[in-house]
Amino acid sequence: MEKLLSILEDLNSDIDYETETKLIDNGLLDSMSILSLVSDLEDAFDVEITPVELVPDNFNSARAMWQMVQRLQEA
Amino acid sequence: MSYSSILYICIFLPAVILLYGITPQRHRGKILLAASYLFFYMLSGKLLVYLILSTFSIHHIGLWLSSCRREFELEKRQIPQEQREPLKKAYTAKRRKILLFAVLLHVGMLLFLKYFNFFGTNVNHLLQLLSVPIQIPQLKLAVPLGISFYTLQAVSYIVDVYQGKTEADDNIGRLALYMAFFPVIMEGPICRYSQTAPDLYQGKQLAYRNVTFGYQRIVWGLFKKLVIADRLNPLVKTIFENHQDYGGVVVIAGAVLYTFQLYADFSGCIDITIGTGEIFGVKIPENFRQPFFSKTASEFWRRWHITLGTWFKDYIFYPVSLTHFVKNLSKKTKNRFGKHAGQIVTSAFALFGVWFCNGLWHGTGWNYIFFGLYYFVLILLGNIFEPWIQSAADRLHIDRHSRWYSCLQRIKLLLIVFTGELFFRAEGLRAGTDMFRSVFTEFDLSALTDGSLFSLGISRADYLAVLAGFAVVLLVGILHEKGISIRERAARWGIIRRWSFYYGAVLAVVIFGAYGPGYRAVDLIYAGF
Repeated sequence: MEKLLSILEDLNSDIDYETETKLIDNGLLDSMSILSLVSDLEDAFDVEITPVELVPDNFNSARAMWQMVQRLQEA
Repeated sequence: MSYSSILYICIFLPAVILLYGITPQRHRGKILLAASYLFFYMLSGKLLVYLILSTFSIHHIGLWLSSCRREFELEKRQIPQEQREPLKKAYTAKRRKILLFAVLLHVGMLLFLKYFNFFGTNVNHLLQLLSVPIQIPQLKLAVPLGISFYTLQAVSYIVDVYQGKTEADDNIGRLALYMAFFPVIMEGPICRYSQTAPDLYQGKQLAYRNVTFGYQRIVWGLFKKLVIADRLNPLVKTIFENHQDYGGVVVIAGAVLYTFQLYADFSGCIDITIGTGEIFGVKIPENFRQPFFSKTASEFWRRWHITLGTWFKDYIFYPVSLTHFVKNLSKKTKNRFGKHAGQIVTSAFALFGVWFCNGLWHGTGWNYIFFGLYYFVLILLGNIFEPWIQSAADRLHIDRHSRWYSCLQRIKLLLIVFTGELFFRAEGLRAGTDMFRSVFTEFDLSALTDGSLFSLGISRADYLAVLAGFAVVLLVGILHEKGISIRERAARWGIIRRWSFYYGAVLAVVIFGAYGPGYRAVDLIYAGF
């Protein structure tokens, strides 16, 4: 989770990722940020993120992203 | 029968509401479906068959994809773990073929009906240039109403079923209503199956709040359409259809006023659509969110025609970005030239797909393709230069969130939008280029004072009505930006104040709207796309 938070901090350090739960719904992460994030997550956690995973539920909070990463690692 | 016509507002819609209200709940969905097919038939006649065929095909293909998934799950349980991966691959390949077939079928039908003659004409020009004695014949093709909208809905349904985001629907009536719902069929918004289908076919009870709120939204849509858009129509037509007679300031006025006409027309129609849905207890997605308050072109397109933007994002932008080819190229670029360059490669491929399709989707003309690629270049350049702009701002101690900087960004964005709409509305790419050039070569401020603007088909009274209407739209936009809902507030007022407000709104449309003797009904602009 710390590694994930560090990736998110690099992307935009103005957001409090520990508490924010509407990163997509509130427009804090746009589509370009998502793509950058996908690339970093794939490299850092050795997972493959497909378009099916690109839904707000998976990116609205750091916790949701972490759950997605763990699920993809187990698959 | 357009949504702003007396036939729709005073006869068709009340008749449907009445029938819906007196019908038992389990049959209300069928009433909406019958009304939707009648609406389509009244506008497109026998071309209704295309819509019905599309509905049958997505119903069948959805169930086919679903049965493939079930077969795989069953077979998977009966074989050892090590054999599951090849089985999964075989089923994925099969399902991918079904998906490809479905997408090609629907997009192919759209391309054939809408673009065959456009491409044929251009290929013929090319063949002529190369002295090849072959010509592609021009076909008399009738394009069904709303094909550009319902095709995207059909594709989204199939892709969502394929990806497991939506369960395939075995109820063809519900699927048919999702595809054909009469307030949506002409101009969208482009709905996802999960957004509207369940509520549509549920046959919810008519509720006082839904009906009043729905009608309020319809009146607001009529206000925008009849007071602003239709009053501006003669001026816009005069300038764009006789563009060689005008230049400079008049062309600027044409581009600016056409942008406002398009916004009032399209968003007004969407208000009527959303209001109609509200009456039946169906939440239709919003398509506009004060787009002229945006600061960048990307933000503008997240606030303008939102459902088209999200459709392109979900079904073109992300899938293209995540193809192995684009990912590998992006990684190689990132390793060699840094992270930013890698991101630019990804966005260049994905944005090109999005904006080329966006331009083409709007119509058969090179000006539409130019319009799409214009935004592609602007947004890509914005992405490329963003780090340098930020670093320059840091060095110069400029706060990019400050009010004056935001103001400059908004002015820049308006110039970008007006220029884009000039080409979008022009009678072809050459006409657009000529008009754009004339802004600089024939610039003369005297057109503002010599009465030229009053010889363009609209009177001083029209200008005043449009100006007043625009001021109201601006005020409502500012309130919405602040999160204030006028309808919610009005609903809490006392009965006299509340009903004075409602009557005032209706009277504003009746008194200031452009309709009746001396006015020709103006078709909905986006219905032509």
